[in-house]
Amino acid sequence: MDLVVRVAGAAGQGVQSLGEILARAVFRCGYFVHGEFSYHSRIRGGENAVTVRIRDRPVFATSEQADVLVALNQEMLELYRPWLQEKGYLVADERLISSGEKALTLPAEEWARKELKQPLAAGVVLLGAAARLLGISLESVKNAVAEVFGEKAEPNLQAAEMGYARSDTKPFMGGLPCFGRGETMFLTGGQAVGAGAIAAGCRFLASYPMTPGTPVLEFLAQNAQAYGIVVEQAEDEIAAINMALGASYAGARSMVTTSGGGFALMVEGLSLAGMIETPVVIHIGQRPGPATGLPTRTSQENLLFALHAGHGEFPRYLAAPATAEDAFYLTMKAFELAEKYHVPGILLTDQFLVDSFVVVPALDPGKVAVQNHWLSPEELEKMERYERFALTESGVSPRALPGLSKHLVLVDSDEHDFYGRITEDLGIRKVMVEKRLRKEQGLAKELEAPWTYPQGSLRGRTVLLGWGSTFGAIREAVEILNEKEDGYAHVHLRELSPLPTEALERVWNQAKEVIAIEGNATGQLGKLISADTGLRPHRLIARYDGRPFTSSGIVQEVSR
Amino acid sequence: MNREAYLTDGVEIAWCPGCGNFAIRQALARALGILELPPERVVLVTGIGQAAKIAHYVNVNGFNGLHGRTVAAAAGIKMVRPDLVVIAESGDGDLYGEGGNHLIHNIRRNVDITVIAHDNRVYGLTKGQASPTAAVGYKTRAQPFGVISRPLHPLALAIALDAAFVAQSFSGEVERTAELIAEGVRHRGFSLINVLHPCPSWNRVQTFAWYKERVYSVEKEGHDPRDQAAALKLALAEGDRIPTGILYRREGPSFEDLHPVVSRTSVALSPLPQPADLRPLLARFQ
Repeated sequence: MDLVVRVAGAAGQGVQSLGEILARAVFRCGYFVHGEFSYHSRIRGGENAVTVRIRDRPVFATSEQADVLVALNQEMLELYRPWLQEKGYLVADERLISSGEKALTLPAEEWARKELKQPLAAGVVLLGAAARLLGISLESVKNAVAEVFGEKAEPNLQAAEMGYARSDTKPFMGGLPCFGRGETMFLTGGQAVGAGAIAAGCRFLASYPMTPGTPVLEFLAQNAQAYGIVVEQAEDEIAAINMALGASYAGARSMVTTSGGGFALMVEGLSLAGMIETPVVIHIGQRPGPATGLPTRTSQENLLFALHAGHGEFPRYLAAPATAEDAFYLTMKAFELAEKYHVPGILLTDQFLVDSFVVVPALDPGKVAVQNHWLSPEELEKMERYERFALTESGVSPRALPGLSKHLVLVDSDEHDFYGRITEDLGIRKVMVEKRLRKEQGLAKELEAPWTYPQGSLRGRTVLLGWGSTFGAIREAVEILNEKEDGYAHVHLRELSPLPTEALERVWNQAKEVIAIEGNATGQLGKLISADTGLRPHRLIARYDGRPFTSSGIVQEVSR
Repeated sequence: MNREAYLTDGVEIAWCPGCGNFAIRQALARALGILELPPERVVLVTGIGQAAKIAHYVNVNGFNGLHGRTVAAAAGIKMVRPDLVVIAESGDGDLYGEGGNHLIHNIRRNVDITVIAHDNRVYGLTKGQASPTAAVGYKTRAQPFGVISRPLHPLALAIALDAAFVAQSFSGEVERTAELIAEGVRHRGFSLINVLHPCPSWNRVQTFAWYKERVYSVEKEGHDPRDQAAALKLALAEGDRIPTGILYRREGPSFEDLHPVVSRTSVALSPLPQPADLRPLLARFQ
């Protein structure tokens, strides 16, 4: 099954809550859902839509077509009607619909105004009607209303009941019976990054608000007291990363969260992290650029920027999570690797991943080992002399924190000697460059193989190659394509620095054709692979209109 | 401890002969001695410039970061390790030019750090351009027609923002500078000590003798440092007299006192979470 319900209205009409109520109602019944938000950069008016997909198996992509459209105003009704399936249903206030049109209509606004004395509850009335149309039980809807609205549930509970009870029993779309729910969780990608950070022992976060990086700031702020985290809204992004590096030097696992523009301001700080070998995790929620671009839309335009940002040469870890579940584990891993190798760990997500809610298998923090990677006071006391940048085979120098022993800890953004003192000895300079770069060899061994579907050889297959949050759309596209002709495969990169060049060479050796699928106009992953291996994707399917990929869009492009 | 314990030996000092930075280094070491602080409990955060090299010439922990970002890094350290004494030290270009925003907002936060500004009204390391505190008309190779912009008054700025502790001294008075630094470190909340000093290589106007003739002690003239309006008046006074001493101080809770997490613990040293600790958080997603 694959049912798509879209709720669309103006900002301020509660569209987001309506989508979440619907999704939570079916989540409680055992279904998997994916909810995608599409909105303008404003607080009132404009376009605001949530597209909820309901499936009996995990779903990580959105859909253009909808089976049900709940329209809260005329403008949204006109905008989204072309995307309603032929057999689909429109649910709207009766004032918006001319008679004779196939639609479920109610005087929702009138009831909300006159009976409930709360005009905003009209949307919930329509949702109640839509729930009946879909065959969701009233009880499930009311429980979800209580969950989403909390103390403000009344008069919305009444509104849901009104819409449900007063709408006709026909039409009826077949029903969504409840079944036993497995061990699953309902969350957004932004919450997954935040929860992963907390699970990894994040102790400090500084951030200047910027969409779509902000949900991570807010999530950590709201959990700061319970988990002992210092969360500070910085005066600018430059402050954020320098505060984070100070905190990290002092021993706190530290993080910043931003978008491309804010990261641009952090770049000198990123280079400092490379030089003073101080761990920091940088979350970049991508949105379309250049400059301010489209603040509330999605993109994959910052891959090459994130990989090449920072003057000078130093290793970094970069992960682009495929799903919210993946975001949880990769955030934990980014913290661990940053701490273990004293490098920046970059998490590259996007608006689509951060804002979408989704049902995932229950998250288990025990899957990623979290441990201290610095010298204990006892170990330090035994050392006669301590040098922060001591030469080692791995390039990783044992790390001490200031104030835990008699040993002093000195770091310097200038080139420095083993102790950390500023130096212009060019022999030492060469040794230090090599020491820093050697850490990349260890990092490379920590990476998982790219995800491949179907498993086994890619020989003779056309490979759809993607990275990051396009995972769900590409996977579905390959499944659809293979139903017709079993000649396609999906290779997905989630860890892009260091780049797994050997695995990529195998893909090119076996595949008939490689098609890169990217949320940017220039094919940045293709360029990256080409620069490191000389291999080029045969084709590029690019999307750069600010909207996420869908399986139908990819199938159409591949078959062209 | 005596001041020698805080001074590095065997490290070549890259300052010019006659530079006021030597005296400020002596004053800092003396201040640490007055406070009897074990070197490992102190972090000296510096930026870039001649003054910022002091992190390599004093025997404490050091974070020699980026130009202008000194105060931001210092605040980050203090927020997660209130058990450490954090001193941020750099030049006027670093603290008042490139890093002005961080100065303003950390005064607002009232983080318990001590900022020591080396103010010589000129950029030393980049060879003599005007700094934000340079006087109107001051000519350099980069400002051949003379400075047009009005100088920044760091003391007035800090007093207007209600900083917890605002003082000024002259590098020619080492003991007094040391006492002011020590008092700034002792004072809870954000402390700024602006240390005026000559730059024999580039600044031919504000020489040692020039300062010597102009500085006076505000204590001796009966100034009450609790009086914000009077402090502002002294800081903005035009003419040939330059105030030194504590211009302004106020008591009150610092960032650390008010913050619900920082007031409880040094978060950097809390044990890492165990998977079971995450249960209440993850349960909300179920």
